[in-house]
Parts: sequence; structure tokens; C-alpha cells
Amino acid sequence: MTDATIEKPRSELGIILTGVARNPLGLMGLIIVGAIVFSAIFAAWIVPYDPIAMNIQDRMQGPSASHWLGTDQLGRDTLSRVIMGGQVALKVALPAVFGAMVIGLTLGMIAGYGPKWLDNMLMLLFDTIRSFPTVMFALAVVALVGPSLQTVVFVVMATSIPTYGRVARTQTLTLRNSEFILAERSMGASMARILGVHMLPNIIGVLAVLAAMDIPTVIALEAGLSFLGLGVKPPTPSWGALLKDGYALIRQTPWLVVGGGLPIIIATLGFTFLGESLRDVVDPKLRKNR
Amino acid sequence: MKIEWMKAPTGRRSFLKGATALGAAAAMPMGWAGHAFAQDAGTLRVRAYGDAPNMDPAHSVGVVEEEIHASIYNKLIQYKPGSEWGWQLDAAAMIEQVDPTHVKFALRDDIGFTNGHGAMTAEDVKFSFERIVADATESPNKPDMGPLSHVEVTGEREGTIVLNEPFAPLWSIALPYITGNIVSKAAVEAAGGRIGSDPVAESGPYLRASWSPKEKTVLQRNPDWKGDAPAWDTIEIYPIDDENTAEIAFEAGELDLTRVSLGSVARYRDGVPNGGTLVENPSLFYVWLGMNLDHPKLQNKKLRQAIQHAIDVPTILEASYFGAAEPSTGIIAPGLAGNRAQGMVAPQANIEKAMALLAESGETNVTLSLDILNKTTYTTMAQVIQAMLAQIGITLEINVLESGAFWASGDNEDLQLVLNRFSMAPDPSYATAWFTTEQAGIWNWERFRNEEFDQLHAAASAETDTAKRAEMYQRAQDLMEESGAYRFITHEATPVVHSSRVVPALRPDGLSLLRYFGKA
Repeated sequence: MTDATIEKPRSELGIILTGVARNPLGLMGLIIVGAIVFSAIFAAWIVPYDPIAMNIQDRMQGPSASHWLGTDQLGRDTLSRVIMGGQVALKVALPAVFGAMVIGLTLGMIAGYGPKWLDNMLMLLFDTIRSFPTVMFALAVVALVGPSLQTVVFVVMATSIPTYGRVARTQTLTLRNSEFILAERSMGASMARILGVHMLPNIIGVLAVLAAMDIPTVIALEAGLSFLGLGVKPPTPSWGALLKDGYALIRQTPWLVVGGGLPIIIATLGFTFLGESLRDVVDPKLRKNR
Repeated sequence: MKIEWMKAPTGRRSFLKGATALGAAAAMPMGWAGHAFAQDAGTLRVRAYGDAPNMDPAHSVGVVEEEIHASIYNKLIQYKPGSEWGWQLDAAAMIEQVDPTHVKFALRDDIGFTNGHGAMTAEDVKFSFERIVADATESPNKPDMGPLSHVEVTGEREGTIVLNEPFAPLWSIALPYITGNIVSKAAVEAAGGRIGSDPVAESGPYLRASWSPKEKTVLQRNPDWKGDAPAWDTIEIYPIDDENTAEIAFEAGELDLTRVSLGSVARYRDGVPNGGTLVENPSLFYVWLGMNLDHPKLQNKKLRQAIQHAIDVPTILEASYFGAAEPSTGIIAPGLAGNRAQGMVAPQANIEKAMALLAESGETNVTLSLDILNKTTYTTMAQVIQAMLAQIGITLEINVLESGAFWASGDNEDLQLVLNRFSMAPDPSYATAWFTTEQAGIWNWERFRNEEFDQLHAAASAETDTAKRAEMYQRAQDLMEESGAYRFITHEATPVVHSSRVVPALRPDGLSLLRYFGKA
């Protein structure tokens, strides 16, 4: 009898994370996203100052030891507002993308697996929503119900659902005539079982990659709405609002633009690197083709 | 009737200078000639905050178009450049108020319209003024002409303006501003009654040579102009909405004059690049916090007064206007009849009094909303007000609206507090007009209704005694403030920078009178 080391089977998540970490860009993305998520979760503890506390005497200061990114027109610490702005960005991006993914996935699978008339109806609905320019749609909704965090989440979710729905539908159509699905069907499996147990695991990976790639788009959209003054309400800090104030005051203090712009760039890069690496791990065929 | 004919001042020196420049340019190759004109013959480059597509004074939408109209058309009288409001003769050789409802005028005999439309006559004045008030014209500027009845033509170049009732703003708005522009009757009728983006016939010291939408308007000397020769051969007007962009263009030497942001005033006070000069003029605009008197949450006068006293205007001005604007006492700016030396509520906050008033009101857990336009000035101001009201226990939610939604707030019955800013012409009646009962729910967003105010507004417009008129407007503003619906903030300011080549001709509120611009 020989000694044999039996390796504990690694979890799916562990395999994916290891795969991402092996790619230098993926590792960088992981670190950036980790840092953003960490700072967003612990924002209240790590901000050096109260991000909404005004001190007009100290307004529009440049970077210093006490205010690393300077202060805004109301004397508020820009770094603290950047950190809290990250929390707002994720508060919008995560629920919006997650919600859009869940609804889009469900509707897409139903469209792909269900009867043709239902497929046509859902596709018509998706195309109708997609035909609205996102920003115009957002402006219309904001004009109707007023600006708030919830409004931004709703707008992003509503405009993103068709994208996830279409991808899920395509994947479902590809899989619906696969042998294992036909076998399940011949054994009398219900539609819910086929979709939930057999198809979902084969689709979710692609959608997760799409979601990771979508997060920076959503962050930029939230920032765009806040830049137009139609995102979260003042005095809640937001990267877009920082950019807006910075743009108006760029001749007086350029640091606000830096404070608002840099995190958007970094977050976009981080989520994009992470998304691309995830795609490579989840779908190695794509990596070979690149 | 005594007619004071003005001499047609065709300056010999101006003529020689122009002729020499033309001769020199003709002798040069095309490219070089253009260069020479840009450098020597004198092109004035100014910035406007918007484009000016419309050349019809009856449909003019404000100062941007008026800057051009005032240069290419003539009026009986024009504003006088300087620090005090006043007027000077333009197309009129004589103008005289013979009684409260009759104004006699005589035109100069040396003004003609372009495109072969002949000399300017009293018929043109009659046509231009009556056209403004005619219902068929649908002129948005009709109220500026007030109670104009008609113009009686008594001679080829003589006539009488007849009013239905006395109208003091005739001399401060109707004649020297937008509605005072005289157009050619023959030309406008030939054009079907309406002027579009091309002026059909011009008569001023400048002609509009070209207009590139959203790019540039070019004015050039009118070769047939017989009045005082304008100093600049060409004026290029660049529509630049953003003040930061305009400042950069000015500092790069691409503009000779621009309004600058209040945030840049401190920097320019330390020195204007390229030897330029900063001119700080007060503005006529008025900014205030309004409270909707019809809203159930704002029925309690003590609560409204608590809000008035909790707001510290100097802090707002420091934060939003960088200390470059002064607190206001009402809606009528200094320099105009009816300006109050001080308001009933001091600019400084009185937190103790505010808290006492709030306690007297019996209101607790007050939560209100404040609607603002999506501009940094207002979001800054709103956040300061939010912090101030929090000090006395009032929670304020800020609603930021884009301009379409914001300017439609007049009929929004749910409106609670609003930060507002109105433009203004140099007559107090222009300010009070928006706060009458008739305007409630239209431009009177506070829905302030006061019979005495309405009577004062009507009576003051017809009052020709300046001192009495001023008292009436002061009382009208007292009534506004007493209602608790208003916290007056500022009239802002109009800081302007100009290059060392220019001697600007500005109205007392800092707006340009381009035809009078000189060379340094």
C-alpha cells in the first residue's frame, strides 16, 4: 500500500479566482475592485472628515497634509467625499446590475425556451426599451419622479435588462436542443427544473462576465446623471457631482475634477480588467481566439 | 415746435483713416490684407453668452440679440454708457414729453435704411412701435411698450407718441431698450411682416455682415452711416456659453471683452493678463428664496419668518459668489428708483430669533423641500441653506431640476421652497410685474397675493414723480418681505474683463453697448 495524498477538490469560485489572479491584468483588476469595495463598505470608518461638514473658511484649498485632495467650494474634504462617493457608486451599480441580470436572465430564458409568441413579445419589449437613448430615458424619468438614488437604480436596471435578456435568450436557444436537455425533457422534467437546474449553470457564467463589464458603465451613467445634477440629491457625495462642481470651478481649483475623475477612471479600469480576466477563465475559447 | 437738429458728424479724421486703410488693403495680396485688417484696421472680438439668430426686435428674446439690434438699428434714444442710468439721443434729433401721455419727437434727417428702403421717417417709427403692441405680431415684448395707444405722424420726420395713461418706464425701457428699435416699414412689409434671421434693412452704425450659427456674428461699419463714426471697423461676436471657456479665450488673446465668472474676480483683481482691465459692475438680476404661500406646509407665517431669519446671506454669498456679490434688500437693485437702503430682515442670520419664531409657530419636525436649477451656484447655495435650517431643526430636502422642469414650476402646486433668479430691465416696474396677483401660479411662484401691492404696482408705473415712485416701490417690497414668503439674497454682479486695446462702453449693469465701444 502506498501513501497517497488526496487533494481536496477546489470550489468553482476558488478556481475562477485563481485563474483571474494568474493574469497580471486580472490581478490588478481584482486588487482595484477589492479596494473600491473595501473602501465603500468601511467608508464611514476610513473617511478622514465628515464628508458633508462645511467649513467655508477653508474652501477650495489645494492638496495638503490635512486635506490630501484639497477641499471643495464649501470647505468639505474632497478625499472624504471621493470615498463616500464610491459607496454611492456601488450602491447604484451593484443592485442595478444584479437586478437587471436576474430579471434579464429570467425573461431571456423564458423567451428562449418558451413558445414562439412569448419570445416575440419579449423581444419586442426588449427592443422597445433599447430604442430609448439611456440618458434621455433617465432625464425623462428624473423629470417625472424626481432625482434620487432609487431613481438612478431603476433607470439603470430598466435600460440594462434587455442586454442580459438577449444574451440569456441566445444561450438558451443554443442549449435547448442539446442532448442532455432533450434527455431531461424525455424523462418528463418540468420547465422550471430544466431552466433552473440544467440551463442556468451554463448561462450564468457568461452573464456574470457581462455584469462585471457593465459595472463601470453603470458607474459612469450615475456619474453622468449626477454631473447633470440629476443623480443623488445634495449633499450626498457622488463622483459625478464632484466632477460637476469641479468643472464649474476648474479655474479656481482643479483638484475637484481630479477628485471626481480619477476614481471613475480607476473603477472603470479595475472592473474592465476583472471582467476580461473572468471572461478568459469562464470561456477559454475566447482567450485562444484573442 | 422747436426742433434741435443734430449736426451730421462725419469726422474728417475717421474718413481719412478708413480711406487709407482701404487703399492700403487694396494694394496688398489677399491674405496679407486680411491680416492687416485684423491687426490694424481694428476688429473688436467680444463674447456673448448665447447665439443671436433672430433679427426681429419684436421677437427678441433678450440682451444677446439686443446687443446686435442696438448696433444695426436705431432708436429714438439709446442708453448712455456709464455708471448711472440715463439716455442720450440716437435717431431722434429732439424728443420731449409734452404732457404725461404725449411725447413729441423729430427724427434726424441723415439716417437711411439699407437695401434701397430710403430715409427713416416718422412712419417707420409708428410702424415699429405699433407693431410691437399689435396682437397680430404676438410679440413677447409687448408689455415693455406698456400703455402705448399709437404714434401720430405729424410730418415726414415728426410725430407724437400717444399713451393711454402715463407710463414712466417709457424712458427707461420702452424707448431705449428692445422695443425702441426702429425698423423699416417698407422692408418689413415687403418681407411679409416678419423679420427672420436676416435683417431686411439696417440703419445703424454697423451692418450685420454675416452670421454663422453658434459660431460667430460679424458686424461691419455701415458705409452710409452719417452719425458719429464708430471706432471699430468690425465687431466679431462669439457665442460662448461657458464662462471658463470665455476666460481662457480672453487670456489667450482671442477675445477683447468677456463677462467673467464671479469665482474669477479675486484672481483678476490681482491682475488681468495681457495688461487687461477688470470692470466690476453691479447687476440688475435678483436672486431670492421663495416660499409657496398656498402650500399646506407653509401656511404658518411664523414658520416662514423663522426661515427668513435663519438664513445667513453673507455666508451664502461667500460660498456661492466668492464674496463678489453684495446682499440685496429686495427685487429692485441699487441705482434704480425704489431700491431700499435696507430690508426688514437683516442679511445676517439671527438664529435665536429664528428659533423663537419657530417655537411660536408651534411647528415641530418640519421637513421641507427646496427646488433648484441644476447649476453649481444653486446647489452650493441650497446646501448652505440646508445646513442653516438644520440649525433651527428644519430638515430640508434639495430637489435639483434640469432647466425644462425647473422653469415649468410656476404651476407646480406642490412646490414648497424655491431658489430663484430673474433677469431685469432698468426700471422697477419690470421687477414688481411678476409678483402681482394676476401672475400667481405663472411667474409668481410664491403665489403672493396682496391688493395693496397690486395697486402700488399699477400706480407706480403711471407715476412720473421719481421720488413718489420710489416710495411706492419701497412699500411694495416691504409688503413682499412682510408676507414671509421671500428671503432676498443678492443682485449678483457683472464682472467684465477687457483688453488694453478697448475702451468699453457698458451700461451701469455691465452689459455692452457695442456701437459706442472705443479704442484705447
